[in-house]
Amino acid sequence: MVGKRLRFETDNPTEFVDITDRLRDEVQRAGLWIGRLHIQSLHTTLGIAINENEPLLLRDFEALLERLAPVGAGYQHDDFARRFDIAADEPENGHAHCRQLLLTGFATLLVEDGELVLGRWQSVFAVELDGPRQRQLAIQLDGEFAQAQRRHRKDSSENLVELELSRQLLVDPEPVSAPMRRLVEAGGKRLRPRLVQLTAGIGPRTEPLRAAALAAAVELLHNATLIHDDYVDESTHRRGRPTVAAAEGPERAVAVGDYYFAKATRLIAEIGNRSVTSTIAEALEAICASQIDDVALRGAFPGDHDSYLRVVRGKTAALFAAACASGAQLSEASPEIIDALRRYGDLVGVAFQMADDMVDFSPSSGKPVGLDIRQRVLSLPLIYAAEDREVGPEVRRLLAGALGDAEVGRVAELVASSGALERVKGEAQALVDAAVQELETIELDGLRPILISLARSAVDRNA
Amino acid sequence: MSAVNVVTRELERLEGLWEDGLSDAYRSYLEAVSEFESADQPRLALAAALIEVGIRLQGLGGRAAAAPTLLMGDLCLARSSRLLADAAPHSVQVAFARAIEEMSVAAASERPAPQIRNLLVRAFEAR
Repeated sequence: MVGKRLRFETDNPTEFVDITDRLRDEVQRAGLWIGRLHIQSLHTTLGIAINENEPLLLRDFEALLERLAPVGAGYQHDDFARRFDIAADEPENGHAHCRQLLLTGFATLLVEDGELVLGRWQSVFAVELDGPRQRQLAIQLDGEFAQAQRRHRKDSSENLVELELSRQLLVDPEPVSAPMRRLVEAGGKRLRPRLVQLTAGIGPRTEPLRAAALAAAVELLHNATLIHDDYVDESTHRRGRPTVAAAEGPERAVAVGDYYFAKATRLIAEIGNRSVTSTIAEALEAICASQIDDVALRGAFPGDHDSYLRVVRGKTAALFAAACASGAQLSEASPEIIDALRRYGDLVGVAFQMADDMVDFSPSSGKPVGLDIRQRVLSLPLIYAAEDREVGPEVRRLLAGALGDAEVGRVAELVASSGALERVKGEAQALVDAAVQELETIELDGLRPILISLARSAVDRNA
Repeated sequence: MSAVNVVTRELERLEGLWEDGLSDAYRSYLEAVSEFESADQPRLALAAALIEVGIRLQGLGGRAAAAPTLLMGDLCLARSSRLLADAAPHSVQVAFARAIEEMSVAAASERPAPQIRNLLVRAFEAR
């Protein structure tokens, strides 16, 4: 609900002030999408009318008012001798009060799709009956505002994905669905399905249910890769819960990962869009190839910037890019839009991974500091610290040896003191800026602000 | 493009597997794909062979492979998926996925797995 005052000045004793455009502005400014605009005169000699703004007709109205309640027609209200508490400047305006009785002091106007609902010839007038004066109208706008509308759409589409995920897990055999359900229910940012859903609304063919099916499949695929990843990295916890490999053994982890890899590709094939199937399949291949590179690079830990980018482009960014491109392909967007969104996803994906690397050095992240160091996971802050002229030699010496708590703590300190975190942060921000630039050249049907916000939130882990 | 060229190009990073059972598996599926367009046959036979070799590498249904070998198996499955996306009708893609699902559920349930080659040959019949 939004409340305001509309102030204006009249120039004549009787005057029809057309306030339609000002009311339209208020609806737009408030972002009211669907609802009502209430207006109420705050004066006893100011009426409200909805009628046609045609000058001769307005003179007819004025004449009508004059006929029905003429000026100086012996109104008792104007007999000051018989009234109490009269102000010094009290006007003789019995006619104006009587005329107001013939009009109305309030009105409710409907708003739909962000516009006042008015007929072709309808205008809204404040009718001055005792001017000239300073006047004000109270207005209130209530209903669903654009921001809430966007939030509602976002909530609805996110709910669709969650429902689709639950539905798919419900029909799967327990030995595979139980571990996956634990992982899915433990949370996660759901950035990839969100990207699918957003980009699936860009082209001319918008089908929320197919988009939700694709989004859920992409999320299942992502989780399937995590299950194998956790076994490879010997991780014991993910999203605050034991990993499938740690809780149920590597054999179960292999089987659950394979099942959901296959199921996700099946769900995507069942959508029946060959471009979408190819896009996701290519991303999956890039992910798997990069995981091999990632493990191979651990021999040269912490690696270098180029190797880091090559691995991250495949391991993380490929699915971000595919999520963006496949959603747009599903909606039959133009090739230019699909390509721009693919580049946007790639840049956001790399930035996301850089931000994720920084979390490992943040005591307030809720995760143990230095987990990536301990597991010798590719990490850009670590690469920069190892290259640093001052702290680099000590970082490299520590990483070359056994990594106990003391060594991990010392490496984290050196990374923090080297300025590496600020450097990575700046690089991630620059990638987000480049991703936003990609959106500048294409028509996105109002989705640009959401995609920009999503890109920024990918690197802002406090968001 | 000849079948040899197609297979050679698709073996990038998996070359070592060719002599380690992949070529035998590939040849065994050629008959099952004889009804498909001739240009698609090498890719489809290779897709099936990669699944067979991939799940063997991973140790699905047996002892889980060590990390690097598991990742090679993952890459086999992923490449197979891409080959199917390129060359297989939608119905065959679905049938292949169902075959892997069946193998995976058997492994997760600690039940004997069906013969993968039989499953995949049947999957080609879904065209």
